[in-house]
Amino acid sequence: MFSLGYLLQQTMNGVVLGCIYALLALGMTVVYGILRLINFAHGALITLGAFFTYFILVRLGIPLVATIFLVLGFGGLMGLVLDIVAYRKLRGGPEVALLITSLGFYTFIENFMKMVVSPQPYAFKTPSYLTTIFRTSFLTFRTIDLFIIGASIAIMWCFHLFIKKTKMGIAMRAIAENLEVASIMGIEINRVISVAFVLGSALAAFTGFMWGAKYGQISYDMGFLTGVKAFVAVVVGGVGSVPGAMVGGVILGLAEILSTAFLPTYFSEYRDGIVFAILILVLLVRPSGIMGVKEEVRV
Amino acid sequence: MLKIENLTVKYGVIPAVHNANLEVREGQIVALLGANGAGKTTILKTIMGILKPAEGNIYYQGESINFFSPPQRVKMGITLVPEGRGIFNRLSVEENLFLGAYHRSDKEEVEKDLNRIYTLFPRLQERKEQIAGTLSGGEQQMLALGRGLMSRPLLILLDEPSLGLAPLLVRELYSFIANIRKEGVTILLVEQNATMALKVCDYVYLLETGVVKVQGIAEEVWSREDVKKVYLGG
Amino acid sequence: MRKINKFPELWFLVGGLILLVGVFLADHLLNRYLVHILILMGIYSITTVSLNLTNGYTGLFSLGHAAFMAIGAYTSTLLAFPIALREAYELPLLPSFLGGPEYSWPFFPALVAGGLLASIAALLIGAPVLRLRGHYLSVASLGFMVIVTTFAKTLRGITRGSMGINAIPSYTNIYWTYLWLFISVYVVWRIVNSRFGRAMLAIREDETAAQALGIYPMKYKLLSFAVGAFFAGVAGGLYAHFTKAIRPFEFSFFLTFQIVTMLIIGGMGTTSGPIVGAASLIALRYALKPVEEGLQIYGLIELIYATLLIVIMLWKPEGIMGKRHSRMS
Repeated sequence: MFSLGYLLQQTMNGVVLGCIYALLALGMTVVYGILRLINFAHGALITLGAFFTYFILVRLGIPLVATIFLVLGFGGLMGLVLDIVAYRKLRGGPEVALLITSLGFYTFIENFMKMVVSPQPYAFKTPSYLTTIFRTSFLTFRTIDLFIIGASIAIMWCFHLFIKKTKMGIAMRAIAENLEVASIMGIEINRVISVAFVLGSALAAFTGFMWGAKYGQISYDMGFLTGVKAFVAVVVGGVGSVPGAMVGGVILGLAEILSTAFLPTYFSEYRDGIVFAILILVLLVRPSGIMGVKEEVRV
Repeated sequence: MLKIENLTVKYGVIPAVHNANLEVREGQIVALLGANGAGKTTILKTIMGILKPAEGNIYYQGESINFFSPPQRVKMGITLVPEGRGIFNRLSVEENLFLGAYHRSDKEEVEKDLNRIYTLFPRLQERKEQIAGTLSGGEQQMLALGRGLMSRPLLILLDEPSLGLAPLLVRELYSFIANIRKEGVTILLVEQNATMALKVCDYVYLLETGVVKVQGIAEEVWSREDVKKVYLGG
Repeated sequence: MRKINKFPELWFLVGGLILLVGVFLADHLLNRYLVHILILMGIYSITTVSLNLTNGYTGLFSLGHAAFMAIGAYTSTLLAFPIALREAYELPLLPSFLGGPEYSWPFFPALVAGGLLASIAALLIGAPVLRLRGHYLSVASLGFMVIVTTFAKTLRGITRGSMGINAIPSYTNIYWTYLWLFISVYVVWRIVNSRFGRAMLAIREDETAAQALGIYPMKYKLLSFAVGAFFAGVAGGLYAHFTKAIRPFEFSFFLTFQIVTMLIIGGMGTTSGPIVGAASLIALRYALKPVEEGLQIYGLIELIYATLLIVIMLWKPEGIMGKRHSRMS
């Protein structure tokens, strides 16, 4: 029965998923804004983050706060490695080259995880303090849901401040607008791009943690579709716009959950298809997204 | 201060600038004139490091800077105010000015300079939170110049600063340029509009399809018949 | 001029005859396992050759090629499935306009039908999607592939959903495979070396400039996309009737990834590149299979594919057969 309770419950689920997408989209939009690069390897960082967290939080029992920082650091480090090993080399080259190489890295990391860790999904035994259930008259939720929403809001706020107020944040916006002029301001382009990359990667790894903790299962291929959906969120919200990424993420999460919740049951298999149908629709109707800047989406 | 020797810059295989020789002495205002496509912007971009020379050398304060990146050259004191202003339209006025001083680490001095710019250009202060893209042409030019000055340059490269400005503003602009020189900044100026440039500068280079055709002291060049006909007539 | 133009056609004729002889010899002299590998090389070559047309020559970086293979595979399977088994496998009988319940299609027409349906899909999805630039096109085409496989999973009445279809009659043999490879190479070659081809090249290099020359990009993009899809569909059909079983999850992004990798490593935008890429990577796969299965380290082959791709992109992006200063480097 489609009661108010059901609606609220699904809305909450949608918001939680949306927050995860929003954080991913945030990392992606900054990098895309500067480099015009869809980093498919972003998805791989989700997987890496999830497994890393599994080992330190679940297996080693490291406390939550330390885990958070370790995951962020790990993600950032991985991003830096990717940047130095490959992406820097390809800067200034054809766009397609970056796309293909990032695909290569995604596949590499995914199969590395498959080979080295396991081809089977792992149960992510979330510590009990994160799965404590709260029941209210309308909603049932767990601590992890609050954690995800809370952490997302906190991170988005920090990011917003960073991009608006700090020297580096302004530099990123400048580079996104006009790389050549930014370089004659004395901005070290490579360094700023690396920072953007590291931040985005750290966020991606963190979302891996959240995903595993929330959905209880991690596998070597969990990152791919999520990563691509994050790009859909970026497009929906508007490429290059930080608030847009956040808005787009939440909207996408809600759309995905609510559409499958309220359509007849067999429609739930259409979940992924719906997300991409949204993408194609947005690209056709309003390519600059909700808050985006007019960009050359079409030729 | 700046010396360019046998500079050749190519776009692909086509030479945009061919065997150019140029010199700017400290404290001078030097004008680089020529028609559209003569190669003036190319030279400025090469000085700034955005373009790489195919042949030739660029010397700044006696040192060859051929292999320095643009950010490095900015730190050495060279600043470019690009053609069409090159301001960041999506950022605010203050953010634009602030970016001009990006490479500087002396926070207090930057603050002082910011206030100085605001005193020079009160209109910019009024609009300091405004998004740069919404300013008028003249205001954008002020912003571009102000931003250029924020880097405390020793040598400032101006690429067609009068482009698109009403004649009254152009006059204001040039009196401003003359004032910058008094502060000890050396200026290399590129213009299509020769008249005003010739009035304010010391030395002139005339560029035609990538080659230096005429050079000399401003008054002399100004009074040459062939120059008058081609560049000042009509 | 006429004489010179005749020459390439002659080469194809000669090449075709040599190929026929070679295939005949292979069929009679080599053991079944090797013939199987050759067939697989042939099928993958058809996909890379077709992708080369879209990605390499026209510069449209589509990531949804597996979708066309899926369409071709399912279409040809459903059309050619033996009547006797249809009920047992819960597959629909053919409606009257497709021949009626007493009919199942012969192999060649079924393949062509699969290819045509894929082309039609390409035209439909191409109209909106091909207008997009670079990365957007890639992700949109990826999205299209997800949508197609989603349908494959959900339209259970037709496709048997995630269970897929088994007991597909094994019509594919080495002759059919290499015939189609020959056809696809010839067609692609013909297109590339014609007015169309030159227009496509112009679009690839600089679309705005091409428009200024009076070339309507959409027409050429759609053509190349549709032809690419056609052969991918045929390859899909060949694949289905070779492996005798198909399931939706086989036509995933990773199939596209493999094809893209083969194409890039072989050399995008060259004639022999796709075939070299496909052949070498299939050979590699079969060389490594015993290792992967023996040591139970699943994912090794894909990992090596990915590594090769990265290495090539960083050090020789034009691919094995490509020339320096091609589009990629």
